[in-house]
Amino acid sequence: MLLEVDILGMFPLRINNVSKIFKNSKGQEFKAVDGISLNIEPGKIYGLLGPNGAGKSTLINMISGLLLPNQGGIELFGLDVVKDSNKTKQLIGVVPQEIVVEMAFTVEEVLYYFSGMYGVPRHERKARIKAVLEDLDLADKMHERARNLSGGMKRRLMVAKAILHRPKLLILDEPTAGVDVSLRQRIWALIRRLNAEGTTILFTTHYLEEAEQLCEYIALVDHGHLIKSGKLKDIQQEFSKNSIHFELFDRTAAPLTGVSEVGVEYEYPITSDLATDMAKLTSHYNHNLKSIRSEAASLEHIFLKLTNSGLSS
Amino acid sequence: MWALYAREVKRFQKIWIDTVFNPIVTVGLYLGVFGVVTSGQQIGDLPYLTFVYTGLLAMLIINNSFSNPSFALVIAKNLGNIVDLQLAPIAPWRIGVAYAMAAFTRGVITLCIALLATVWFIPGLGLPEHPLYFIFALFLTGIEFGMLGVAFGFWAKNFEALTFMSTFVMQPMIFLAGVFYPVANLPSPWSTISLFNPVHHNINFFRYAFTGYSDISPIISLLVILGFSFVFFVAMQILTKKNIVLK
Repeated sequence: MLLEVDILGMFPLRINNVSKIFKNSKGQEFKAVDGISLNIEPGKIYGLLGPNGAGKSTLINMISGLLLPNQGGIELFGLDVVKDSNKTKQLIGVVPQEIVVEMAFTVEEVLYYFSGMYGVPRHERKARIKAVLEDLDLADKMHERARNLSGGMKRRLMVAKAILHRPKLLILDEPTAGVDVSLRQRIWALIRRLNAEGTTILFTTHYLEEAEQLCEYIALVDHGHLIKSGKLKDIQQEFSKNSIHFELFDRTAAPLTGVSEVGVEYEYPITSDLATDMAKLTSHYNHNLKSIRSEAASLEHIFLKLTNSGLSS
Repeated sequence: MWALYAREVKRFQKIWIDTVFNPIVTVGLYLGVFGVVTSGQQIGDLPYLTFVYTGLLAMLIINNSFSNPSFALVIAKNLGNIVDLQLAPIAPWRIGVAYAMAAFTRGVITLCIALLATVWFIPGLGLPEHPLYFIFALFLTGIEFGMLGVAFGFWAKNFEALTFMSTFVMQPMIFLAGVFYPVANLPSPWSTISLFNPVHHNINFFRYAFTGYSDISPIISLLVILGFSFVFFVAMQILTKKNIVLK
């Protein structure tokens, strides 16, 4: 039986002061997630960003019910992920980072039994499988053994498993890691479509361009701490305040006083007014200017600034 | 839970040569050897071949019920798709029960095929003497060792650990449980020690249900089976929960 839960008006996800401590082989404690609080609004796409080892996957694993938090609580649609784990697990779909497939089964069999485990009624399963596989361009592989699929197809099969039971919150841990450009575009399109149909999306990614393309909201995590969260546009505006960003063809050119390097970009604080400072930069760098802008800062710029500067320490 | 059960049944059907027919060939070979060597020998009123045959059938259920979940779970752990179980909205106790029932199903299917294929070579063996006990014996043995298999599957970190337990614990227990000889005929203290071997009681009860022959009281064997079933059930629950919800 499919779970009937009144989720109207509920936050899909509320994380309240959650911490997770692991012990290494020497018995030393290590805080992978340290006091993170975050609310996710319904119908939005959230990007959970952070460098390797920041605690993103640990947080996702706690939200998914795979790991128990040492401190704090997580609610999915008003239900506690520890106390009501069977109910919360049915409300979410999770695409884990690692590609894992059943060795013995065909694509159709994998999805048939998996959807059954999530309570999809038997008479609906085949039609849903067909529709999802068509969506993911895997319909012609339905009777193929899952182990014989290519890496990209296996990744799509994992997405299919996560969406078959029509979750209210879809969690994707690095969904496009190691996939080619066209498949990445296809997964983005699917994420957008699911979101347009009302599914709240939370995903982690290393590709900041991906987050910029897809996310309305972001949460930046570093060393287990939440260092910034909110609407992507607001954060971009906050970091663009009073500065001009530009790129150079020749990065060895003598810098103008006040210019600082942020990733592949350079940043120049507006000292008088925008037009005067733009003119100053244009005349100094002249034909060496590759691009110049004063609008919202790129996510890469924000990411580097937050993770490399005092905030991460 | 039923979808998980159906998936596990489908899994052993997919590799039926290994899971179903391999053990039947083994029983056939044992019968061939013992049929020639022990021709005409008796244990009480029971022909020795019938005695061994019923023991082999019980051994078949035990081996199949045990190995089905234990190998499936260790493979799932090694491939990483144990995460499917951890993410599924199924309570840990239901996961354990689904695996144990699938194990029981494999044990029964293998037994039925083995019976159909080999019973013709056992002269004078008819329908079970005690049909109700026979059903109990099938169900309890299949479920009991299915649960033990689930517990082992979740406990074992890798194939080496599982193989170690299978080779150095399960196989000696099965072979010293009276499949090939009546434990009452063993010299003291081995006949007494054998009574503490849980597998002995499964084989004894199964043989009694089928032929009416028993080394010890079948009721004692039944009680021991129920007792160990409870112990294995608790072990299965603890280990399943520990592996599904990680701390």
